[in-house]
Formats: sequence, C-alpha cells, structure tokens
Amino acid sequence: MNQYIFHPFVLPFVLGMAFVLTYCLVGLVRIIAQLPKDDRKKLWRSLVTPKTAWANIRDLFGDCLFHVKIWKRNPILGYMHSAIAFGWFMIIVIGHVMLFTLKPLQGVEVEGFARTFTNFYYPIFYKHFATETPVFAFLMDFFLLVIISGILIAVVKKIYSKIVGVKRVTKFGFADNLVRFALWTIFPFRLIAEKSNIMAFWWLYSIDLMIFMCMLPFTRYMHIPTEALFILLQHAGLKAREPRKGYNLAQLYSCPSCGLCIDACPMSVNDKNSGNTSAYFMKMMRNGDSEDAKRIAETCLMCGKCVMICPVSIESCDIKWSQRAATPYYINSDHSYLDDCGCGDASNASNCKTPSVVYFAGCMTQLTPKIMRSMKQIMDAAGDDYEFLDKDGGICCGRPMLLSGKVAEAQAMIAKNTELIKKSGAKKLVLSCPICYKVFKDEYQLESIEIQHHTQYINELIKNGKLKVNKGDVNYVYHDPCELGRAFGVYDEPREVIENVGNLRKAKSEKELSICCGGSLGSFNLTQQERDEITQNSVNDLMFNNPDEIVTACPLCLKTFAKKSPVQVKDIAEIVCEKI
Amino acid sequence: MDFGFCLSPSSHVKIDSVDLTTFNHLKETNPDVNTCIACGSCTATCTAGNFTEMSFRRILLMLQRGKEAEAKKLIQHCMFCGKCTLVCPRGINIRKILLDITR
Amino acid sequence: MKENILIIGGGAAGMEAATQLQKLGLNPIIVEKSEKLGGHIAQWDRLFPAFHPAKDVVDQMLDNVKGVDVRLNTQVTDIQRDNNGFKANLNNGEIIDAKAVVLATGFDLFKAERKQEYGYGIYNNVITSLELEKFFRTGKDERINNPKKIGFVHCVGARDVKVGNTYCSKVCCTTALKQACEMKEVFPDAEVYTFYMDLRMFGPGYEDLYLKTQKDYDVKCIRGRVCEVSEDMDGRLVIKAEDTLFGKPLRMTLDLLVLMCSMEKNKSIEAIQQKLGIANNSDGFMQNKDMYLGMNDSKQDGVFVAGTCTAPKSLPDTIGEARSVAVEVFNYINNK
Repeated sequence: MNQYIFHPFVLPFVLGMAFVLTYCLVGLVRIIAQLPKDDRKKLWRSLVTPKTAWANIRDLFGDCLFHVKIWKRNPILGYMHSAIAFGWFMIIVIGHVMLFTLKPLQGVEVEGFARTFTNFYYPIFYKHFATETPVFAFLMDFFLLVIISGILIAVVKKIYSKIVGVKRVTKFGFADNLVRFALWTIFPFRLIAEKSNIMAFWWLYSIDLMIFMCMLPFTRYMHIPTEALFILLQHAGLKAREPRKGYNLAQLYSCPSCGLCIDACPMSVNDKNSGNTSAYFMKMMRNGDSEDAKRIAETCLMCGKCVMICPVSIESCDIKWSQRAATPYYINSDHSYLDDCGCGDASNASNCKTPSVVYFAGCMTQLTPKIMRSMKQIMDAAGDDYEFLDKDGGICCGRPMLLSGKVAEAQAMIAKNTELIKKSGAKKLVLSCPICYKVFKDEYQLESIEIQHHTQYINELIKNGKLKVNKGDVNYVYHDPCELGRAFGVYDEPREVIENVGNLRKAKSEKELSICCGGSLGSFNLTQQERDEITQNSVNDLMFNNPDEIVTACPLCLKTFAKKSPVQVKDIAEIVCEKI
Repeated sequence: MDFGFCLSPSSHVKIDSVDLTTFNHLKETNPDVNTCIACGSCTATCTAGNFTEMSFRRILLMLQRGKEAEAKKLIQHCMFCGKCTLVCPRGINIRKILLDITR
Repeated sequence: MKENILIIGGGAAGMEAATQLQKLGLNPIIVEKSEKLGGHIAQWDRLFPAFHPAKDVVDQMLDNVKGVDVRLNTQVTDIQRDNNGFKANLNNGEIIDAKAVVLATGFDLFKAERKQEYGYGIYNNVITSLELEKFFRTGKDERINNPKKIGFVHCVGARDVKVGNTYCSKVCCTTALKQACEMKEVFPDAEVYTFYMDLRMFGPGYEDLYLKTQKDYDVKCIRGRVCEVSEDMDGRLVIKAEDTLFGKPLRMTLDLLVLMCSMEKNKSIEAIQQKLGIANNSDGFMQNKDMYLGMNDSKQDGVFVAGTCTAPKSLPDTIGEARSVAVEVFNYINNK
C-alpha cells in the first residue's frame, strides 16, 4: 500500500483494538446470556421505556464521561477523571467526525473496503496521513492537552495521594501498573508524534495503545467499557444473584479499584484490615472465588458505607451477600417448631380489643430494657392503644439469617411474624431495632400495616401534638445506625426529635458517612478486639464536638458504644422519655 | 478386659474413645471456644431456646464429649439472631462458630 | 527528723500502713479525698465469713491512726520528684515533701447501670450489694418491701469482656452468700437464690460459710448467669438464666434482685498515677513489680502500692499488704 495511506506502525493499534472489541463483545454476550430470563426481559424493557432510557443516557454521560459523583466528592479528583475520560472520548468523536473533512496528503484517496480499513485507524493517527481544518485541529489539540493535564494530576496523586484527600490508595500488581504506565504515556507520545512526526514516537504511541487495549481486560481498566453496561443493567432494576455471574460479573468488572472505599470502610481503622475492604474484595472476586474472597465476604460489617461512597454505585454488599448465599451447608435448619408456637401476647391480644399500634421490640431490644420501658411510657403519654408483640420473647425478624445468606430459613421466620402481626389487627407496626426495620421494609408483605421505626413514630407523635416534650439544654450527638440511615435515609426524623428535647451537636462524619458502631451482625469473622477498635474510632468521631451524651436509635449500637464511650450513651426513646 | 459383650450397654461417656475431630477443627479456626466458662448466658437468652432445646453451651459440651449428632440436631433450630454473641461474657463469636459447625 | 511518707488514700490499706509506719518511727501523712477515713469498708455492715461488725474493725483502725497527720477532703493535684524524694501539691494549696509515696487508692465499685440487661436504674427493685449493706446498717431502703423472693447475681462487671473486665473480683461470691444469710435473718419467710458461675470460697472459714447457707439458711444456689431482667404486669422482676447443672433455661419471678458489683480500679487517681509513671496491668489495676516478692513495690523508685489498687482483695489481704508495705518503706528509707 501507499505510504500515505498506510504505515506498519498502525498495526499494533489495529491488533489491540480488534482484540479488545472482540473481548468486550464476547463478554457482553456472556453476561447477558448468564442473566436469568426474567432479568433479561427486564433489561430489554428498560431500554425502550422512556424513563429508564433517559436515565441511561444521563448516567452514561454523567458517570462514565463527566464523573459527576467524583466531582461532588472531590473536585480535583473529579477533574482528573473527567479530563481523561471526556477528553479521550472527545478526540475519538471529533476524530471520527473529521473523517469527512480530512484532506489526504498527496491527494491519495482510497475507496471501498480499503476505505473502511483506513477509517479504523485514520482518526487515531490522522496527522501522519492527512491534514484537517483549523477548527478541528484546534479542538483535537485542546482535548489532547486536557487529557494530559488530567494525567499530570494522576501522576501527582500517585506520588502524594493526600493532595486529593485520599489517605489510603489501592495497592496494585504488575499488570495494573504496566497498563497505568501505558495509559499515562499514550497521550504525551501522541502529542510529540503529532508535533514532530518522528516515526519512533508514532511507534511508541501505537504500541502503548496496543499494550493498553490488550491488557485492559486483565486489569482494573476493564471498568471503562463495563461501566456502561453496568449502568444499563442497574437501571433495569436487576439484583445480585450468583456471586460471579451475570449482573454481578458486570459489577465486578465495573469496579475501577479507585480505593475510595478503603478510607470509608470502618475496618480500615486497623491498617491490617484495610485489605478486607471492597476494592480488594472486588479484585479477588474478579480473579476467582478464592478462599480469601469468601472470608472477606463474611468479614464485612455490611454497613453499606462503601456502596454509598462508590463513584460507580457498585452494590458490593450485595455481591458479598450473594457469595455468602452460595456457601453450601451440610446441616440444614429446621424451624418447623415455629408452626406450633403461639407466641404469648399477640395471640391473646386479639381476643380482647384491637390495638392501633403493635410494638415489636426485637431480639436485641430485649437486652436493652430501657428502650422498651421508654417506648411504653411514650405510648402511654401519647394515649395510643398499643400491644407489645414480643414481650415474653418473640421470633427473630429474619434479618440475621438473611445476612448469613440463608433465604429459605429466613422466610420461615418472616412468615410466622407476618401471621402474628396481621392477627393483632393493628394498623401500625413500630420497631425499635433498625435491623428488624430493614427486613420488615424489604421482605415483609404486611399490606396496609404501616411500618415505622420508633424515631419516625416519636417524631410523628411530637409533630401532631400527641406527645408534649420539654426542651432541655443537654448537648446530644446523634449516631445514624447503618440500617436506618444509609439503608433508608431516615436522617431527619431522629434529628428533629432530638432538637425538640435538647441541642444537637454534629459528629465529624454524619448521615450517609456515619461510621458503623462495630457491633454489626453483618460480620461473622471480626474478633471482639477488632470490633472494639472500630467502636473506639466511631466514638471518637461522635465526640468531635464534645457532646454531653451520645444518642442512637439502635439497641445494638447502644450496647456497643456503651463499652467505649466516655459519655453516656442513650437511645432516642430514652431522652424523649426524660423530657415528657 | 472386654469380652465383646455385656449385659447392658454402659451409659458412660467414654472419654478415652471420643472422636474430637470436629471439636479440634473448630478449636483451630475459633480458638475462643476454649474460653467458655459455661455460664449459660447464651442458652438463657437464646431466641430459639425459648421454643426448643437449642443451647450453645450444651452444643460445645456435646462436641467435646463425642455427641456430635446430638449437637448438630440442636443447631438446626438456631435463628442466627446473635443475642448469644451479644451477651457472652467471654466475647466468644458464637454465631461464627455455629455457622462453622454447620458447614 | 522523722521522714515524711505520703500515703494517698485513707481506707483500710492507707490507715493500716500509716499505723505501722508510725510505729516504725516514720512520719506518715494520709491524704484522703472524702470527708472521713475508712474507705469502702466503713460503708459495710458486717464482714464475711463470721459476720463480724465492720464498725469494730474500722473503729480500731481509726483508734490506731490517732496522732497520724491526716488531711481529709484533700486530693493530690500534682506530684514531682526532687532531690529529697517527692513534692506533692494538694488541692488546698499545701505542698508536702515526702521521701516515699504509698499508693493506697483502693477501688471503685462497678457501675451497675453499665449492664443494662440487669435493669439497675430501670426497675425499682434492682439494687447493688453496696446498697444492701447500707440497708443492713440503717434498716432503710424504700425499694426493699418485705420481699418474698430474692435473687443475687454474681460476677456483675467481673469475668466479663463486654465491660472490659476479664478478672474475677475475688470477694463477691463470699459477700453474696453472707448477704444471702443476712437477708434470711431479716426476712425469714423469703426464698433466697444466688446465681453463680463458680463459687470461689477461697479463704479460711469461707467454705464453712457456704455450708451454713445450705444447712441453716436454705439459700438456693443456681449455677448460671442471669442474662435478662424484665418486669411483669405487677411490677415484679422476671429474670432469665440457664440452670446449667440441670441443663435448661429458667425463668423466675423475684421481688428483689441484688447485683454483686465487681471492683474496678479507682479511676480518680489516673492523673497522679501517670505523673508517677505507674502503668496499669492487664486488668486495668496498677502494676506492681511482681506478684510474689515485689507485690508492694512499683516499678518506680520510692513509690509503693498496697491494697486493692493493684487487684481485687479481701480485707485481710489488704491489711496484710498494708503491713508489708510499711516494712518495705522502712527498709527503703533506711537503705538510702
């Protein structure tokens, strides 16, 4: 072929590109084939439903190219990502648009199949083969410089990560480091090649692209193509099922290993445990379901902070859960005894009159009688007629069983509790334990019965005037329980309640960033000592503004904090009770 | 001397011949099983124990006395609610141990 | 001139150490933060194992320290080493020069509300062992209304990592049985139960006390830890425990529950302890040099320890240590 339309230095690129496209195509087909039938149907439907289609477009641009979520977290990191991603995207787009206006050198034109082939690499190496209009030339140079500015930040971040507000970064192996080096050098090489037209740099540029694209599937950079698919799957409303198939596979490869979750994870308080964080877990899962991955899946507290902070919105807790659910047991549960148990009060209650509120304390609250007693006093003061469902000990809500990955077993408890609650005839179910609240909201079919956590219930009582409280001058700090805050966004109700009875001080990390107390039932493997370290860290965070008392809304958080807190720890029901 | 027969089978726990494989394995992965002082808090608080014979304290003892089958039967009733772990004065990670036994 | 020896704490250990130091020709100075000498033991009614009135012992000790320099309502706010030994600043502005310091700072009683599941501070009829002693002394406690069923919970705040105390508090078992007998004396119709893990009757006459509870007082000992306390409709307490010897969980209704609170290190001395460079041992009490021949020595020259500041101890143990610390201090001064 003519040297003005072809040069061997394009071959590495063409090779790399062909490989990565094939790989992605096969991966795409594989993931979609692995989806259960229902899920696939959901996916197709979502692509043509205007609402989800619009969300797809918005997030494909917003998340994949502009990285809006990272901007919100940290503008410097945001710029770094969008400079590289959006810049690169633009030079590809503009490159292809230019195809129509490029003037070939020496007027050598190609037609037919050859034209298609040259179009494959022309936009990538156009300055060697053609000239373009000044406007396009400017745009191409501009975006190239934008990318390089992003890369400069990346280099600085690599050397000194604190500059972008990141304490710990993910540690990578050889392949990841090689691809990163390739990525960093692609664009400077291109710039030099374009400006000098020295062959060696065109070769380097092309080889760099080849390395990047050939290694891409085996490194974290696979997140670039996968994330687009993941966004579509997520918007279709799919949920994690098998640990390393279908939707989960898309999630696993969408993780960019950015490591934002490492600092966020409560376990990272002990450096030794920062290897248990989601970033590493996802990496291990990509490489196969190793024993280590299984261990981490069961070590995680399931507090959901990594999910909340993840710029790609990967539901890593769900992946860990599906890994748990996939673990085989050779002793099965036998909960047939639940069929025969009448469970005291509730069944008797229906014999007399129907209460308007039924209160389910839950297992953990049985160990914090102060919460139960305060709730009783509050309901008495508000004049609600109520019934305690599990005064003499009830049946577990099923959430802990679900957390261990056993769905059918949990359903047995859910069914029995549903029966008891419905039998009470109440219109409203009030819960004191966020662990219960989570499963009642997610899994129970209670139809018209309203489900409230006691923070919401008390707030409602105060708001509609049924409960009169006096404001005191105690300074409280509120700890958001994971399964109330991050899981359901119940942030305002407890704060409003506290402001009615005293002063609310801020913790260092609040609401979606609140730090797990360390007592979570989510973790099976953490030792008491490791939990204590997490608790201490969380207490320090709460004590940031020197409150007089720590207030929480979860019996488990309460008991966990009580061990380490320098000030009194109380449940929100307790402090309200003190001010009636 | 054992003549291979006896009038009635002895009900004694024959510590000499007890098979401790399961318990020893458990001990390796969960060294805290040895810190149990058999106070019974786990049993007293147990949500499943309210309705059944479930008792973690007894399960541990059963495993140490070679009554593995009985122990595994009790575990089936567990609801994994975690109350036992919360009340255990020795900080034994009971939920994890129960999970490990069933695997 | 007689050498000054600063004794921080005017309980059993402090008073006995001062008595002996005075006899050995030194000049002990007791700094006591409360308004009177006697410490915890002065709040006790009778002592195990023989129901000896605590007041007799305390009165005799008080008699012995007559003539000892005592500062009440006083605390050491700062302490430094100087060429002559130690220079201590008191909160009344006074400065004391001393050749040696004896830490006899004693213990704090575990705060029962920290074990919320036992319901102290929540239910009216849950009291601590100390409050029961006060009832025995004064005959007054609104919460004790002719109870028909009484329960004692051992190991409250002891052998419990969940409150950070892994150690055995040594004296609660015997105290519980002593108090159980006394309750039987006050309320002969009442049934008295104790919930124990291990009955540690370690001293002379203690096992006899146990036998007496069984033969003469019919105290029912159940081996199991109470794990939950709730209230029934009539305001009576419902407790849950496992009867571990029988192998079944049990529920019981009680009119009064007494919590045998453990000893914890006296936290109010922490700042001075740090200034003196005395570390804590793994139980959170003060560390002595070794537990055999150096039990009264700290790792710091001229600083001595005695009594329950290093570990939970009975009164005889404490008095023994107070006497031995006097000898240690005497030798230390003479060898200087």
